Amino acid sequence: MTDSGLVTVSAGWAVVAGAILCSLAVFAIALDTGLTARAQGARGGWTTIAGRFARLLRQRRRTTVAADTMLWRAGGVGMFIGAFFMVAVIPLGQWTLADLDVGVVWLNTIDVLVWALVWLTGWGANSTYSLIGGYRFLAHGLAYELPLMFALVAPAIAAGSLNVGAVAAAQDDDLWFVVWMPVAFLIYLIGVMGFSVWGPFAAAVATDITGGAGTELSAVDRLVFHAGRYLFLAAGAAFSVPLFLGGGAGPWLPDWTWVLIKTLAVLAVLVWSRRKIPLMRPDRFMTIGWTLLLPAIVVQDLVVSVLVVWKG
Amino acid sequence: MGMTAIIAKLAVRAVRVLIVEVPGQWLTRVELEDQMLRRGWRRAWAPADADVLAVCGTPGPELTPLVDRLWEQMPGPRVRANMCSSSTVSSALNDAATLYVDTDQHAKDARERAQEPQIPHDDMDHSGHGSHDHSGMEDSGHDHMSHSGHDGMDHDNHTGMHHNGHGEIDHSGADHMNHSGNDSMDHDEVDHDSHADMHHNGDDHMDHSGHNGHGGMDHSGLEDSGHDHSGHGGMDHSGHGGMDMSPGGIPLAQGGPDRDGLEMDVLHLPLGPVLAYWPAGLVLDCTLQGDVVVDSEASIVDGRDHEHSLHVFAPDLRAALLCDNVMALLALAGADDLAARARQARDCLLRGDHTAALDRLERLIRTIRRSWLLRWSLQGVLVLEQVDLHRHSLPASCRGDAYDRMLRTLARIQAAVGGAGPMIDDDVSWQVLPNLVTGLELATLRLAVASVNLRLHPTTQGGKA
Repeated sequence: MTDSGLVTVSAGWAVVAGAILCSLAVFAIALDTGLTARAQGARGGWTTIAGRFARLLRQRRRTTVAADTMLWRAGGVGMFIGAFFMVAVIPLGQWTLADLDVGVVWLNTIDVLVWALVWLTGWGANSTYSLIGGYRFLAHGLAYELPLMFALVAPAIAAGSLNVGAVAAAQDDDLWFVVWMPVAFLIYLIGVMGFSVWGPFAAAVATDITGGAGTELSAVDRLVFHAGRYLFLAAGAAFSVPLFLGGGAGPWLPDWTWVLIKTLAVLAVLVWSRRKIPLMRPDRFMTIGWTLLLPAIVVQDLVVSVLVVWKG
Repeated sequence: MGMTAIIAKLAVRAVRVLIVEVPGQWLTRVELEDQMLRRGWRRAWAPADADVLAVCGTPGPELTPLVDRLWEQMPGPRVRANMCSSSTVSSALNDAATLYVDTDQHAKDARERAQEPQIPHDDMDHSGHGSHDHSGMEDSGHDHMSHSGHDGMDHDNHTGMHHNGHGEIDHSGADHMNHSGNDSMDHDEVDHDSHADMHHNGDDHMDHSGHNGHGGMDHSGLEDSGHDHSGHGGMDHSGHGGMDMSPGGIPLAQGGPDRDGLEMDVLHLPLGPVLAYWPAGLVLDCTLQGDVVVDSEASIVDGRDHEHSLHVFAPDLRAALLCDNVMALLALAGADDLAARARQARDCLLRGDHTAALDRLERLIRTIRRSWLLRWSLQGVLVLEQVDLHRHSLPASCRGDAYDRMLRTLARIQAAVGGAGPMIDDDVSWQVLPNLVTGLELATLRLAVASVNLRLHPTTQGGKA
């Protein structure tokens, strides 16, 4: 694509993109571990993360009676690799792996896949708590998905393109979209927490149902499923940068640095917010999703559309 | 040092512990939580995620087989740590840490243990723990009414459909023997007994027919919730006469009309006795449609052992226990930071540090009052008006919703610690629980149970000391 001014790099760079995404996820885990340790007055530190990783590598895999093993494992593995597909369309400065015409829709496609992935993980184990975890995620999905879709529409309308690079470029000499569509930004972040099954939206893997969809997972299966949640959180944070935060725009530093800095900032806010917001029970959040978020984002889209037409 | 050893050394820093709290042993659990925090160990919510099975106290005849089943479900490397009192926690954890890094031993364990997951109805389980069950049953003076009732039911069904509902492997041998022999209660009945036993009521028939519908998911892997699944084996099969398909020997779930009058699958889920942030020893047998609890029955595991224990309460101990309850409610609501503060207040109280406890309580209450999201989350959870209190003969302190009750409990703790005199003991009897929670959605049910201070057992520890 020439209009977005992006350079599509060769597929070999996917390794670098993957490494960056993994680093971001590790940052999220480290931050969460540190904040948890501080709240509990316990010790934390970097070795804790290595320890958790080692523990799960050392653990044996297990299965349950009459598990639907193929679907069960597919759910976990899908959670792990989904986020990598998502970052493929995010431009890092002027470089991108895939300059899709419909990059914004691509994000949406992957996040809708999470519905299936979490549900399959919950379903496949053939266990009641797992299944309830799956139900809960679908209930959350029903409440956050539509507002999220409308939130993705807002930057696309303003930029007049579904290309992620074009959306970022549209903010270059203008206000960042976060400034004049804050509601869309906020709802986008809620959606990110939703498809990452994170924080207030972790009801599907909550303590009260002994880990919900992940109840029966052990060893590497548990590792990929839960790592996948952090990877999605990181990918969602990274996506917010071209959509709402002006992409690589910023003084002094090269634009790819700005993309990373903004991503880290958004990711830190998402991780931190878990401490301030209690669990959203699906039945409660359903009310908010449909009576508050959906009307609010439709009005936001309307305002954006009117402004775009008015500015010509 | 090889790679294996390095990984083991790293892994031991992040061990997850599945805690089994024997009724009355909450002080041991508190000590265990404290020691775990110092080691950077965390709690596991289910056996699949657990490396160490920590048993606080000495389990009774009903709990013992359940603990063994949890042990069976742990993936390994697995270590069992028994701590009979709070003074042995530290040494038990040290031993557990040593055993956990012993890779050779775990490799041996992995070779020798059962390689496939088993539904709890298998022979191994019964040969291992049958005697326990039996002794427990005889002691409790089980009524013959329910025996005869079960005998008839099982024999009728046995010929036709028992095999449909079970995996051929499990029952090809020993089960036939049992049934063709004169000890018709040896297999199924043992479980029926323990089940009936736990309900403390006479109408076993009602009880069992009520559970006919459950199956499917029930048997898979939920033993972390502890209740004996085999206890329902017989009933399932009697309710599944025409069933041909039974994956893994588990009958499929049956449908039933839900609250909207639509047909919906019925599942059976026992909550407790081994469940985090749940009153120790309490078992709530829930019949679920989706995640709505349409029917429930409460019982206490090994209840009889604790019946005649002393009921003495030191004021500080009681304040700490209530603090523990508040912590559980906050943790279930997903307010981890606030739960951590409640826990710190509890630990201060147990140390006898009143000033620090008061300071923490005050800050906790202030933050809770400020958090409108937490209020929104807990509001409307198990609302009890004056009529409800009267109907279920509940104390006035239960009035309102979960949020009101939590703040009231905190205020009472604060007053008691501040020297306002001993707290009145107006805890709610566990028997009333099914009346309160039936019809709730599962997450709400967990919050509802955590929001009332239940009287389950006298604190045998501390109370005597």
